[in-house]
Amino acid sequence: MFTRILKNPLSVAGLVLISYNVFLAVFAPFIAPNTTGIVQYDPYLIPRDPALGMWMEPNAPTPAHLFGTSSMQVDLFYGCVWGTRFAFQLGLEVIVATLGIGLVLGLLAGYYGGFIDEVIMRFTDIILAFPGLILAMVFVAVLGKIGWNVLQAAIFSIILIGWPGYTRLIRGEVLRVRGEDYVEAARASGASDLRIMVRHILPNSIYTVIIVASLDFGSIVLTAAALSFLGLGSPAGYADWGRLIFDGVPYAASGLYYWWTFVYPGIFIVLFTLGWNLLGDALRDVLDPLTRRK
Amino acid sequence: MEEQQSVVEIKDLYLNFYTYDGIVKALDGVSLSIRKGEILGLVGETGSGKSVTSLSVLSIVIPPGRIEKGQIDINVKGKTYDILSLNDATMARVRGRYISMIFQEPRAALNPVYTIGDQIAEVFFHHRRPELVESSIARLKKDSESTSGLKRAIYRRELSLLEKMQKNPGSLDLRVLSRIPLLNRFQNRMKTAARQYVIEMLKSLNIPDPARVIDMYPHELSGGMAQRAVIAMALCANPLMLIADEPTTSLDVTVQAQILLLIKDLQRRLHTSILYVTHDLGVIAETCDRVAVLYAGNVAEVANVMDLFKKPLHPYTQALLESIPRPGHKFVSIRGIVPSLVNPPKGCRFYDRCDFAMDKCVHQEPELIKIEKDHFVACHLHYGEK
Amino acid sequence: MGLREYIIRRLILIIPIMLGVVLLIFAVMQFVDPVQRVTLYLRNPRQFAPDVIRRYISIYGLDQPVWVQFYNWLSGMLQGQFGYSSYYREMVLPGLLARVPATLEIVLFSTPLIILGGIWLGVESAVRKDRSFDQLTRIFSILGTSLPSFFFGILLSAIFIAQLKWVSTSRLTPSLYTQVSLMQSSHHWNTYTGLMTLDSLLNGRPDICFDALIHLALPVLVLMFIQTAVLVRVTRSSMLESLGKTYITAARAKGLTNSEVVYKHARRNALIPVVTISGLLVGGMMTGLVITESVFMFPGIGQWAAEAAQVFDVSVVIVYAMFSSAVFVLANLIVDVLYAYIDPRIRLG
Repeated sequence: MFTRILKNPLSVAGLVLISYNVFLAVFAPFIAPNTTGIVQYDPYLIPRDPALGMWMEPNAPTPAHLFGTSSMQVDLFYGCVWGTRFAFQLGLEVIVATLGIGLVLGLLAGYYGGFIDEVIMRFTDIILAFPGLILAMVFVAVLGKIGWNVLQAAIFSIILIGWPGYTRLIRGEVLRVRGEDYVEAARASGASDLRIMVRHILPNSIYTVIIVASLDFGSIVLTAAALSFLGLGSPAGYADWGRLIFDGVPYAASGLYYWWTFVYPGIFIVLFTLGWNLLGDALRDVLDPLTRRK
Repeated sequence: MEEQQSVVEIKDLYLNFYTYDGIVKALDGVSLSIRKGEILGLVGETGSGKSVTSLSVLSIVIPPGRIEKGQIDINVKGKTYDILSLNDATMARVRGRYISMIFQEPRAALNPVYTIGDQIAEVFFHHRRPELVESSIARLKKDSESTSGLKRAIYRRELSLLEKMQKNPGSLDLRVLSRIPLLNRFQNRMKTAARQYVIEMLKSLNIPDPARVIDMYPHELSGGMAQRAVIAMALCANPLMLIADEPTTSLDVTVQAQILLLIKDLQRRLHTSILYVTHDLGVIAETCDRVAVLYAGNVAEVANVMDLFKKPLHPYTQALLESIPRPGHKFVSIRGIVPSLVNPPKGCRFYDRCDFAMDKCVHQEPELIKIEKDHFVACHLHYGEK
Repeated sequence: MGLREYIIRRLILIIPIMLGVVLLIFAVMQFVDPVQRVTLYLRNPRQFAPDVIRRYISIYGLDQPVWVQFYNWLSGMLQGQFGYSSYYREMVLPGLLARVPATLEIVLFSTPLIILGGIWLGVESAVRKDRSFDQLTRIFSILGTSLPSFFFGILLSAIFIAQLKWVSTSRLTPSLYTQVSLMQSSHHWNTYTGLMTLDSLLNGRPDICFDALIHLALPVLVLMFIQTAVLVRVTRSSMLESLGKTYITAARAKGLTNSEVVYKHARRNALIPVVTISGLLVGGMMTGLVITESVFMFPGIGQWAAEAAQVFDVSVVIVYAMFSSAVFVLANLIVDVLYAYIDPRIRLG
């Protein structure tokens, strides 16, 4: 199957992009080290070069600051590179949480059915009745109002709008697998519910889920970037692409004069999401005989 | 093959599939002829190329397939045309009218969002339009006699449009008018006329209560009824040849028998030639006049039904006949598997499964030669017998 | 089950869902303490001393048991009382309604373009699979799902608004804007619909209409971009699947022309699953509006919610959420009914 992926130029492009992103994320401390001498407690807070001061006006790219600086002399190269790391970190946190919740609830709902299923389904229905980002906005606004750290509130909200999707997906898979004969056999031989769930149902339903999760990775990062762009995510001067663009918006009012303040972070987002989308397309193409063609 | 007139003759057809796994050489020089008024069986395993062959006759080649070489002649009113050289527009006039096809899964062959009546009427509109126009005109003339005033004037307009259609069917203004929603009402007469024809057609296929069935959707019909509807579609325009691609394989045994009887009956009445594609030798024995055996893209043997069953010449045919399960006999199957057609063997493609294989068989592909009257075989074993 | 029963059943199902939506919002609000929640009920809480606020808390029953509070809040909403926005210093409902026309204008122009454009591109792309048209369309749809709308919007804004100065932000060029407000206050301007394009024509000012149209161009473009890309992908794959079905080969075997086979038979079937996902597109639009209007400073409900969210003005965000949810649920209902209607397999059981 892997060889087939490699034959398709688009999927190769996707893999290349993802590898490049992974590379940036893993080696961020070496590619964009903190050269200011000021110790940060949060590496995602973009360190400011004391030589440049705290001027509002962004500086154009120079050899010292490859992508230039944005407002308050925030270094964009550091921001974009560490932004990759941040994207991965955030994405993984969210995926693990939503998958985890989705697995537990989906298994329970699918396996036991009945009342538990109804209750869980009603909850997912309610959350899914809101278009994506909007419910997240509500949660961030409320939690922000009562004093939560906005970034944490954002991550929390994204998880909150994400778990119903996985719950439904897994529930569907569980229902499909539950009717299979080997599950009947296991039950007849006296295996406990938990054992059946873990040893039989889980391994057979996980395949689709993994594919969906890897496709979702890109859209989670996009959602987080959108929240940051609305000011509902990372704080100022954070290595988060969405936030960087938000910080660059006032300078977009001067046309392309300060182009580096928003173009670079945007390109990084595109390269990230594009990679995951291409890979997702490739996976789908490989698994679908109808679209196979030379 | 010169004794009797052939309706369709396939000459040396080569067809390849271009897939991610390589080039599949599906048809390797297939030659067949279907004679006027006969039922020719095309028998072979899955993957032998029988479905692809039948689709090729209609010049329908689904990508990633491609016809590499060959000729398919059709004999219409004394003139011969090469189907593979005809353009799409001409082929559209040939399909359904001179050659038509029925399929394995009847409900899959019908569009689920249109009624049976609509789909059969389509064939009438396409291939028997003059008749529709004629009966509409006749009807219209009768109707306009019993009305007056505005209605009569409207009828008159409709009449002139229909008469124009009779004389000059492809004229531009008619085509434009037929697309405009309110103004194309003049076509309603034809639709009513078509309805009548469709009901007649359904009746002739023993479909009960045709007036009700005509407005039903495919999923509402049973397998047998659906297949009858498909057959109705195929025979509407009285084609020269019908291709039947395993039409009874997906049906219950009892229904199968009914449909087979129906097909034979129709064939007798309409003198249609039939290319009957199947893997079921029992059906062949019951239904066909002649048989062609296909293996891995090559024609192995062609003979009259009686001769094939009594005196099978090709080792594959012999093995096939042996493998038919019989009570009291041990179950025998052909050893080995069908070769990969991406890298087919250079010589005879049946080589590694053949009990009579010789050295010659490895290097040289056997040609189809005539052993006796109406009995051809492609096997080195029989080369000396000519 | 018959079509009518299906519609009725779906309509009835909406009630528990909307109830759940409202409950969820209420539950979320409970996190916010009473002092801040009081802002949902008062006109200008800043004017009040702490003890006055405490009095109002008891007046509005914010120290009452949860179910009483919920009842009060719900009945208040049903009477049109949606609270007060401390950021905008106005009552929420009028604030929402005042900004709906602007958003409506964007939506009215985008929707037909998205639907017609997306379906057409998807169908043609499938028909011409792997040829240059298809390749280009696929690039477009991949870009559409990878390019964040806010980045696209900012780019366009920087280039066309700030750099080239072809248009301004918002609905009209500032000079025309002042003209319109002057005319409105001197009663020379009748606001018939709230839609600038229509109203300006009805008021005899085609130049304003033209100005409004060119100001709509960029927001519509950005909003359309992602939705069309998604629609194209779904339509394309649905069409490809449809074209591979046996009944298409059968239709060809009947002698139907290529365009009849593609447009009369294949497309009809292909559009059925497309209808289903159009409901989701509405949701995407509600989200897209927030971003698009913010970027172009278009005074619609999206921008209203976005700015309020930034300063954590809960009352506005909550109402926007409920509004979008209602629209979304309704759209999905319509779509489901439509789907049941056009697919005879479902309609006739």
